[in-house]
Amino acid sequence: MEITLYHYLTVGAILFSLGLYAMISRKNAIMILMGIELILNACNLNFIAFSKYGGLGVDGQLISIFVILLAVAEAAIALAIVLNIYNNFNTANIDEVDSMKD
Amino acid sequence: MPELTTILFYIFAFITVGFAIIVVSTKNVMYSAVSLFMSLFGIAALFLLLRADFLALTQVMVYIGGILVLLIFGIMLTTKITDAEIKTNNLSYIPAAFFTTGIFVILIFVLYTTKWNQKTPIQNEETISQIGKALLSSYVLPFEIASIVLLVALVGAIMFSRKK
Amino acid sequence: MNNFTEILKSINSFLPELSVITTLLLCLIADIIIRKKSPIVTIIAIAGLLVSAYFVYMQSAVQESLFSGMLVIDPFAVFFKYLFILSSIIILIFFEFSNEIKESTHKNEYSYLILSLVLGAFLMASSVNLLMMYLSLELASLTSYILAGYSKSEKKSSESSMKYLIYGAASSGIMLYGMSLLYGFTGSLDIYEISRYLATNPTPNAFIYLTMIMIAAGLGYKTSSVPFHFWTPDVYEGSPTPVTAFLAVTSSAAGFSLITRLFLTTFLGSTQIVDGAFSIIAGIHWQEIIIVISVASMIVGNFVAIWQKSLKRLLGYSSIAQGGYMLAGLVVADTIGLTAMLIYLSAYLFMNLGAFFVTILIVNKLGTDDIEQMKGLGYRLPFVGVAMAVFMLALSGIPATVGFIGKFYLVTALMKPGAGYLWFAIVLMLNSVVSLFFYLKVVKSMFLERADNTDELPGIKFSVQSYIILILLLIPTIFFGLYFGPIVKLAESSAVLFGIR
Repeated sequence: MEITLYHYLTVGAILFSLGLYAMISRKNAIMILMGIELILNACNLNFIAFSKYGGLGVDGQLISIFVILLAVAEAAIALAIVLNIYNNFNTANIDEVDSMKD
Repeated sequence: MPELTTILFYIFAFITVGFAIIVVSTKNVMYSAVSLFMSLFGIAALFLLLRADFLALTQVMVYIGGILVLLIFGIMLTTKITDAEIKTNNLSYIPAAFFTTGIFVILIFVLYTTKWNQKTPIQNEETISQIGKALLSSYVLPFEIASIVLLVALVGAIMFSRKK
Repeated sequence: MNNFTEILKSINSFLPELSVITTLLLCLIADIIIRKKSPIVTIIAIAGLLVSAYFVYMQSAVQESLFSGMLVIDPFAVFFKYLFILSSIIILIFFEFSNEIKESTHKNEYSYLILSLVLGAFLMASSVNLLMMYLSLELASLTSYILAGYSKSEKKSSESSMKYLIYGAASSGIMLYGMSLLYGFTGSLDIYEISRYLATNPTPNAFIYLTMIMIAAGLGYKTSSVPFHFWTPDVYEGSPTPVTAFLAVTSSAAGFSLITRLFLTTFLGSTQIVDGAFSIIAGIHWQEIIIVISVASMIVGNFVAIWQKSLKRLLGYSSIAQGGYMLAGLVVADTIGLTAMLIYLSAYLFMNLGAFFVTILIVNKLGTDDIEQMKGLGYRLPFVGVAMAVFMLALSGIPATVGFIGKFYLVTALMKPGAGYLWFAIVLMLNSVVSLFFYLKVVKSMFLERADNTDELPGIKFSVQSYIILILLLIPTIFFGLYFGPIVKLAESSAVLFGIR
């Protein structure tokens, strides 16, 4: 039995769904960020699998490099913001950080 | 007798998915972070199976060495470790589980019914030199803009964490 | 060696962006040298933007592809670049006026953060490659997360930056997944290649809908369209007011430029425009998705705005609704619709910035943006009150204001015979009527209601400079409402996308 594109896509889809689940069900900001990391990894897996099985050269790998880079930038800012929230509210749970209402 | 790559794929796919499930299901944030570490390692191995050697390396160095360490710092700075209170509650996980299962079913349906662009994969090729050439020729603009993104991230992180 | 000459050639046409980057670095260095709050940094930033505007002007009639198909220059991108430059210059001036910014512990960081968002917006308006689109979107988003939390010791500000970040990261992740599927199906990142592939190969419905919805999630987040709008009210209320104005005008205009180019170019059957109508690939009904988003944005924005007590929150819902109107111009998929959208965007710039400037002035004096607290305010600051009334009426689309011109062209585009969007035009007009209700609520609170002790309260005076800025924003709002020829002409000549004729 040979490993095909669909095997990788399935792993990607599972990771994407798990990431989505984490974003919806978690209330700790850092846990939500972990969910987002899972989604970004699912995207990377897709890009690389597509570029290998489509014979598309290194395009997919290049976009993944940029995704990783943006993930780093985002994580750095996210952590700074979460620490700032923690200084102001003394918690990192987003449902306790809710001072604005309709 | 299955091929070695097949066996390896299943091993790493199970590591990736299994630990990812722990990431989203455990209540302890620290366990989540460690499981994410394993899961990302699994993905790096899958990258290797896809012959993306440079990317596998980047994944290990940047993702695991950088982002994950940042996240763990974040956890340790925002939760009281001494009280063993590194736990979080889930909001409404039953509706969330239903919703994501729905999305997953749709995704799988689309992934398996679409005729993807497939050709015979090119075997055993050096990727690092190709990536290097591409970064300095057709991808030179994103490469340079990326430096601005990092500069902005740097400014932002300093701005938020600087003392008054 | 060919690559090298091509890059050198591209750099010649990349001068607007390069001057923004240079100014950004200059501001950063100046901030480090000066080490205290100083208007010099803002002046450098404005000067740099003017230089960039000059280079943009030099590209007025150019149509060119740069950096091996990463970017294009076309009149459409040039129009948006003018819009970004004008709005960010005005907002840099707003920053000088706002007390919220003066009280924050930061010095001049905002000037280069604004420049980096302008850079992201420039790239968003001209990128034709999925990677470049994602990268520029993220550059703009990262900057806006930082700006939203600008007064970091304010609870509301830090809360809004966190909400913005979480929703933003999530929706851009979803968009990226959609892009990966598009890449896998078509085998290319270039939207012209993608378009060619989609036009010549049968595309499964489920696949294309899923992809479009996922991509729309990322772009709809930038334009704060329903159902990707959850962040909007909280971020608008919590961020410092000049930042809110920036997000409402520049950042969402960038989103519109990207969404327009992506949808109009990717789903193009042939590059021929017949009778001004874009030829859309048969069987790909992307308009349906935009219609749903547009109608939902109008209805949610307008109806929820009625119950708002905070002025900034009200403006947040109002901009959700305004975004819905603008997407209507995209649905028609012809040059008239595109022109109408551009006219509306330029109208929106003046009236919305005006409304936000009045908000800044009021927040400076009252320390709150609660509409209840503004009772009888019109008598204490008559000129500002009248100005606010004008901006509110313009936003609701009353004739003789620039807002009416925008709506008039949108409705005309929708009522094109045979297009079948008459019902859509009616929905749009009904929504305008509803919007009148909450826009007038602000005016009513300022003029018709009286606080118990109005007579005892002294009149409020503002500095001469703030009156000048106010008049400068007021003039185009009324002038272009009466004499709209120039705007219409500019928009008509700008409704040209690269590679489509």
